[in-house]
Amino acid sequence: MSERTYEILFIAEPELGEPELDALVATVQGFVEKEGGTVQRVEKWGKKRLAYVVKKQREGNYVLMVAEGGAAMVKEVERRMRVSDGVLRFITVRVDEDLAKAERKKAQRAVEEAKRKARTGGRPAPAEPQEEVEL
Amino acid sequence: MSSFGGPRGGGGGNFGGGGGGRGGARPGAGGPGGRGAKQEGKRYFFRRRKVCRFCADKIDYIDYKDVKVLISFVPERGKLLPRRMFGTCAEHQRKLTLAIKRARAIALLPFASE
Repeated sequence: MSERTYEILFIAEPELGEPELDALVATVQGFVEKEGGTVQRVEKWGKKRLAYVVKKQREGNYVLMVAEGGAAMVKEVERRMRVSDGVLRFITVRVDEDLAKAERKKAQRAVEEAKRKARTGGRPAPAEPQEEVEL
Repeated sequence: MSSFGGPRGGGGGNFGGGGGGRGGARPGAGGPGGRGAKQEGKRYFFRRRKVCRFCADKIDYIDYKDVKVLISFVPERGKLLPRRMFGTCAEHQRKLTLAIKRARAIALLPFASE
């Protein structure tokens, strides 16, 4: 199965204490690993104010989990998160392709930069006309 | 400079709304604004060319988690704004809207603030 990288960002109940939150994170991590995925890193953002009310809560504990796995893994993890208490909201975003694309662009730009430098003999590129008056 | 005749003068008015957006304002550039208006009695708008901020900062991946960046492209009301407001290029505008929509889904940004 092809491996893909996903970001699983979820909001946990704000009332959870540190140990409960860790337990919840471990549970979600368990969901991922049970489906043959691997968790690469976990980031706890702490308690943040929500932009709008979710399940009658105004704030929530944000947790970001970067995981590798297949589409079936995501499906199952999402299903389990939906039924687990303590998770207010979650979002899963596939990031590998977009990040790879961004990386390629960066490399491309570096190449062009080097080319330009070689052409101008190390001198900085001529300043672009900035103040352009339209109409 | 003031070579445009009557019909074009009105055309400038159509785009006037776009001029109010943020363009990463560098001070001192607004100098010549309104000079033509005094002389001719017509409305001319001098706009600085807006450059896509993501292109300028060389950002290739607009992260939906980065609220600090996204919030500067969302007005208080929480709406998505057209490209002409911020001068973002087409590619980055697409990525920006997607990022904003994702951020909304996870309550980082409001759908509509009251």
